[in-house]
Amino acid sequence: MTIFSRRSLFAIAASGAMAFGLAAPAAADQAAEDFVQNILDEAAPKLQSGDQATMIAAVEALVDEYVDMRRVGRFVLGKYARQMTDAQAAEYYPLFRQYATMVYRNTLENYAGQSIVVTGSVDRAAYDIVVNSKIANPEPGDAFADAVIHWRVYRDKEGAMSIFDAGANEIWLAIEQQEQFTSIIANNGGGEAGINALIADMRTRVEAN
Amino acid sequence: MAQIAGAGDDPDAIARELQSTAAEPAAAVADPWEGFNRKMFAVNDSLDRNVMTPAAKGYRTVTHKKQRKGIRNFLANLRTPVIFVNDLLQGEVGRAGDTLGRFVINSTIGFGGMGDPAERIGIAQHSEDFGQTLAVWGVDSGPYLVLPFLGPSTMRDGFGAGVDIATNPAFWISTDPAMYYRFSTAGVGVLSAREPLIEPLDGIRADSLDYYASIRSFYLQSRKREITNGRTNYEDLPDIGDFEEFEELE
Repeated sequence: MTIFSRRSLFAIAASGAMAFGLAAPAAADQAAEDFVQNILDEAAPKLQSGDQATMIAAVEALVDEYVDMRRVGRFVLGKYARQMTDAQAAEYYPLFRQYATMVYRNTLENYAGQSIVVTGSVDRAAYDIVVNSKIANPEPGDAFADAVIHWRVYRDKEGAMSIFDAGANEIWLAIEQQEQFTSIIANNGGGEAGINALIADMRTRVEAN
Repeated sequence: MAQIAGAGDDPDAIARELQSTAAEPAAAVADPWEGFNRKMFAVNDSLDRNVMTPAAKGYRTVTHKKQRKGIRNFLANLRTPVIFVNDLLQGEVGRAGDTLGRFVINSTIGFGGMGDPAERIGIAQHSEDFGQTLAVWGVDSGPYLVLPFLGPSTMRDGFGAGVDIATNPAFWISTDPAMYYRFSTAGVGVLSAREPLIEPLDGIRADSLDYYASIRSFYLQSRKREITNGRTNYEDLPDIGDFEEFEELE
C-alpha cells in the first residue's frame, strides 16, 4: 500500500513537472524498480532462514546472479584499471568476486528480518538508474528507521539489468571501495607494485574469513 | 530533464529542486595531510576500541531502545539554536521556520524535548552547522583532516565546529551548573551518537582493507549529502562506464 500511494504522488508530481514544460521521467524506470523489488522480495525470506550456512549460501547465489562483479571490479580500480597486467587481472577478478560477496553478505546481515520496499527511481542515463527504497516497517526507536537505501542498476545493450552498487543515505559501497583500493595502490608505489599489494591484501582478508 | 524526476519521490522536493542552490561539486579526495591524518586516526581508533565502544555498549545495556530514542530527541532539541542560526545564515527561511516550529512544539508538548510530536505532524528534523553554512557560502572544504578525539573533519568543518560551540548560549555562562550541564550533555551526546554505530563500524572495520580510507570516504560522502540538504539529483555520481569501455569484458 505504501508503494501504491507513493506512485500516485509520483504521477501527480510528474504531471506537475510537465506543467512546468519539463519532460516526464522515462518509463524505463519502472522496469528497474521492478527488477530491484523482485530481488528484495526474493532475498527477504532467504535472509531470515535461521541457519547461518544456508543464509551465506543464499546470499552468495543472489549476488552471483544479480551483481555484475566484473564491471564493479573494474570500476573500483579507478584510474589504475588500465595499468593492470593480464596476469594480475587473472588473479584479481576472481579474488574480487570473493571479497565483494563477503562484504555484501556482511552488510545484508544487518537487514535480516526487515522488509525493504522500492519507493522510486532516477534515470541518470539509459544504462544507469538509481532505484531508491526504504525499510517498510522499522522498529520504533530504531536509529536508522528513516534511511533511504539506494540501488544502482546497470542496463546493458540487450536490456539485461544488474546491480552495480548499493548505498544508504547517499553513501555508496562501490565508491567507498574505489577509494580504499586506489588508496592502497597509491600508498604501495602505484602501478604494478601497488596493484600487487592490493591483491595480496585482498587475498589475506578473504582467506582469513 | 531526468534529474528533475529524481525529486519525484516527494512532490515538495520537486518545487525545491527547481530553486535549488548550487551544491558543492564532487572533487577528488583531497588528502595532502594523509601522513598526519593516519597517525591521528590510529590514536582515535585505539581510544574508540578501548574506551568509547565499551562505554557505548554499557550505555546500551542500561537503557531501552525507546529511552535512547528519547535521549536522542532531547539532545537534538538542545541543538536547535545552532541549527536555527545556520538555517538563517544560509537563507533557508522555510527550514528555519521548521526548526523554530520543532523547538516550540517539542519543548512544550514534547516532554521538554524527549518526545518528537513535531515529526509526527510532518515537520521533519534536519541538521545544520556552521561548516555547512560556509560550504553554502562557497568556501572550499580544504583538505581532509582528522581531529584528535573528534575524528574526521575538513579544515572548513573543523573551523565550523568551533564556531558552533561558541554559538551555543551555554558556552558563555561559566557558573558551575552551566559547566556541569555542558559536560554532561557532551558526554551523553557522545554515547548517544556512538551507540547506534557499534555494529556498522565493527562491520566496516572487519571488512575493510584500508579502514582509514573507508572512514574518510564515508565521512566525505555523508558531508556532501548534509550540505546539499538532501536535494539529490545524483548528477555527481561517478560514471559507471558506457558500453564501449567494457567491450573487452564481454
